[in-house]
Amino acid sequence: MKIELQNLSMIYPNGRQALRNLNLSLEAPSLVGLLGPNGAGKSTLMKLLVAALTPTGGSILVDGQPLERAERLLKARLGYLPQDFGLFDELTTAQFLDYMAALKGIRDSRAAVKEVLQAVNLEEKAGAVLRTLSGGQRQRAGIAQALLGNPQLLIFDEPTVGLDPEERVHFRSLFSRAAQERLVLLSTHIIEDVQSVCDSLIVIDGGQILFAGTPEQLIRSASGHVGVFWEKEVSGEPEKQGLRITARVHTGQGIRCRAVADELPAYARPEEPTLEDAYLYLISREVVR
Amino acid sequence: MKMLLLLSLELRRLLQSRLTWLIAGLTALSPALGLVLYQPASAETMLSMYLANPAIAGGAAGGVLFGLLSVFELDRTARSRVEALTDAAVSPLVMALVRLLALLAGALLMLGLTMLLWLPVSRGLIGSVFDGTDYILAYLFFMGLALPLGILSAASAYQLTRRLDLSLVLFAVFAGLSLTVWADDWQLCWLNPCVWALSDDFSNFRIFRSVAYMRLTWLAALAGVWTLSWLCVRQNGRGLFRSLLWSARRIYRPAVTLLLLVCAVSAYAAQPLVDRSNPDETAAKFYELPYAEGVVCTGRSAQVFPDTSAGAVKGRASYQLRNTSGREQRVAFGVNPGYTISHVRADGEAAPFSVSSYQEFNEAMLEVVIPAAEQVELTMEYEGFPRENRNLSVMQGSMEISGEYLCLENAALSPRLMNVLPGEDGYPASIEITLPASMTVIPFGSGGAGVIAEHEDGTRTWSCEMNSTGGILYAGDYIREDIEAGGLTIEFYYGRRHQAVMEAAGAADAVRAVVECCTEHYGSLPFDTGSRLKLIQSRVSGGGYAADGASLLDEADFTAANLSDAGKGAGAGEVMIHELVHQWWGLGNMFDVSDPDSPWSAEGLTVYTTYRIARELYGEAYAQENYVEQWQKAVDDYYLDFYVRNPDYLAKLPAEKQLEITNHLTYVRQYCEMPLKIWKAEALAGGREAMDQILSSLFNRELDPAYPYLTYQEFLDACGLTEEDLSLV
Repeated sequence: MKIELQNLSMIYPNGRQALRNLNLSLEAPSLVGLLGPNGAGKSTLMKLLVAALTPTGGSILVDGQPLERAERLLKARLGYLPQDFGLFDELTTAQFLDYMAALKGIRDSRAAVKEVLQAVNLEEKAGAVLRTLSGGQRQRAGIAQALLGNPQLLIFDEPTVGLDPEERVHFRSLFSRAAQERLVLLSTHIIEDVQSVCDSLIVIDGGQILFAGTPEQLIRSASGHVGVFWEKEVSGEPEKQGLRITARVHTGQGIRCRAVADELPAYARPEEPTLEDAYLYLISREVVR
Repeated sequence: MKMLLLLSLELRRLLQSRLTWLIAGLTALSPALGLVLYQPASAETMLSMYLANPAIAGGAAGGVLFGLLSVFELDRTARSRVEALTDAAVSPLVMALVRLLALLAGALLMLGLTMLLWLPVSRGLIGSVFDGTDYILAYLFFMGLALPLGILSAASAYQLTRRLDLSLVLFAVFAGLSLTVWADDWQLCWLNPCVWALSDDFSNFRIFRSVAYMRLTWLAALAGVWTLSWLCVRQNGRGLFRSLLWSARRIYRPAVTLLLLVCAVSAYAAQPLVDRSNPDETAAKFYELPYAEGVVCTGRSAQVFPDTSAGAVKGRASYQLRNTSGREQRVAFGVNPGYTISHVRADGEAAPFSVSSYQEFNEAMLEVVIPAAEQVELTMEYEGFPRENRNLSVMQGSMEISGEYLCLENAALSPRLMNVLPGEDGYPASIEITLPASMTVIPFGSGGAGVIAEHEDGTRTWSCEMNSTGGILYAGDYIREDIEAGGLTIEFYYGRRHQAVMEAAGAADAVRAVVECCTEHYGSLPFDTGSRLKLIQSRVSGGGYAADGASLLDEADFTAANLSDAGKGAGAGEVMIHELVHQWWGLGNMFDVSDPDSPWSAEGLTVYTTYRIARELYGEAYAQENYVEQWQKAVDDYYLDFYVRNPDYLAKLPAEKQLEITNHLTYVRQYCEMPLKIWKAEALAGGREAMDQILSSLFNRELDPAYPYLTYQEFLDACGLTEEDLSLV
């Protein structure tokens, strides 16, 4: 499956431009991480990809066909978890998944439901009414419905919100496994979620793509721009010296700071960048620009 | 297949909602409103009271409840943000359709449960005249079809506005229009159909057809509106108009919308049930037609073939005319506006004719040019579904044509001569009518009817002789009893379904007792032709009427409920007597009914006469205890009544309460106070024989054609008494 964005733009009726001239190509198998700060345009892009919104400019091609013509085809191969979703609270988890399976036209819905309940560790809640589930369990039910029928395209918008650390690890590996033969698009602002599993990253901010490539490429781009220093070594405000503090750690010797900057000051000792450093460096550069 | 699966899942989901079960419970109970609160069917037949009213009330309440359920369900789905998931799987249009179908299926389920729940109740209340077909059709048309209309209208409002509050307001306005402004327009009152009566003893297909037609018209209209709103279902983040344009790009979708709306408008405009009679009931254009010069009718005949399954009529009529004018003449006929006329021939040659678009008193005017020849045989064919008078459109049902009952009057029977004078023998007419073998034909009048042919298809042809320009034929599944009384042979016809009630009330004995007593004491009925009198129990019609040799008894007067009305008689047999006495006091002698609250009405003399007959049948003590003492007690209570003594307080009550109290007080004054006054007058005037003579003189008095009603003053004058003399205070 291949999705191409060509000069994709989106302006909401209130005049806010959410996306501007995005060009991108996504192809299975791949697990693509979509990173960006809040309001960057990630959810808008997701909604455009699942045809929940109509772009105001440009086009989306699904296997070479414009989305408006391939909408039915796309939906038949799509598993989608939006950031903000609800469930039929009066149904049990299994009934809800059965319902969604029917919507997706899955023939052997019982087996499919069983499979996804297993995948999201929700088997023991199969007979529980949805309104009785916790936030994390509801999120897992949401992920389960997206996985129904092994769709070729999986789009998750902030899927790990509300999950405990153990569950997040579980789902990261689940997404990774799923991406072995499918296209998985994972939108998040949690770097850890994408760091270990994504083979491709897209960083978006202000409606524009700031970076598209592998995590390694992103990390490399921050090389020489990450440093550490003791806070007491700094005279004045670090931000005014072009530094963006990414971490402050209290130690027995004082506060140790980690920062990114175009040019590191002399008191900062260079460090190997992490993905988070690289991401923050990218975003901070954009803010400065 | 996928749609069916989705529908079953959506229905299952709907049925798991507490709101659905609340609505379902209220809907199932809503027919009870028709027993206590909302009673639009005013006739007092058992089916009107215990079937029509509950079903209509159930429909009105159920329609509103399911409308509310639709709005809340659609809004709940939207508010719960589950659409974000479903829309990613299928088109929002599919989901909207599935949700609608699930609501409709839920309504169907609730209707079935309601019918099951109310079956034993209705059966028990209605008694021996309960009929399964009427029950099913009443609940299906009066109640059942209201539910999808409520759902469609409310769902349309929500799909267009996507706002709960606005949808509720729009739906409330739409339902409110039906219950108020449109309530008296049989085509517009989509929620509460205009049904004034259901017959106990005969079929009700005509009124069922009328309601079904109205409901199907609205169903097409609201399905069209819903389809339009469906096209406006927001898709891909578009607004209303852009979604509409997007959805309408598949041309069959707007085409279906348009088709449904066109069907609805056409069905509304071209309804076949009610005519376009001049609403001005003082208009008499047809009655002021000048007679055709030199033309008389020397005879006429008709062969009528009612289609009892379709409720339609087909016929051939021929007229023997003598034209001595030496010129062509235009002969006018009144035809039922539902009929089409064809093959009009004068002496075998096609004759030019036209049918007026103007209609008056349920007739259109057919004009035929006849040749100048002296003897003209004019023949024509007519066919169609007879229409009812627009001015009585809220009281439809009189044109009932079925295998159980039929009434064809004048222009509905065959074209009625309008402007042709009679020949020497009047308008001798021979009418043949072919009907199912189970039906008995009864010409309304002195003429008889006989079977002249039996056919292999189970029908029989009856022939009857008449002498008029029109004529009225009744036919139905009747039981006939011939009763000798008062020197007359009474042909007493009543519906087979009513047999148990009639026998339990001793109808034949009552007829005999009444005819003998009243004929002896007051005189023969003015419409009694001397040897035979037909008493025909008619389908519920709002009252009886009489003509030479025949009198009509409205079935509503003989229901089990009415026959147990203690105010009219001590038992069912005596209420039967009471109703038959109305042939003398009420029909044979009329009373001014312009003031329904007047204590002087047909009831006073009727109740008094019933008492007299009961006295003759069962003795003085019985009559005293069951009539006079009962009247006295009711009158004593009446004079002690708080509101009678303090009418100012009555005026301060709400109008509805005032009406309830006034109706009760009027009932006491008409059914108890007035008979007691007449009983007192009897004593003051010199006893029973003297009163009989007084009443006989009043019954046989010379009538003033301008005001043919018997007044209280005439009664007092005849007794030589004053109002004060009869004061009971």
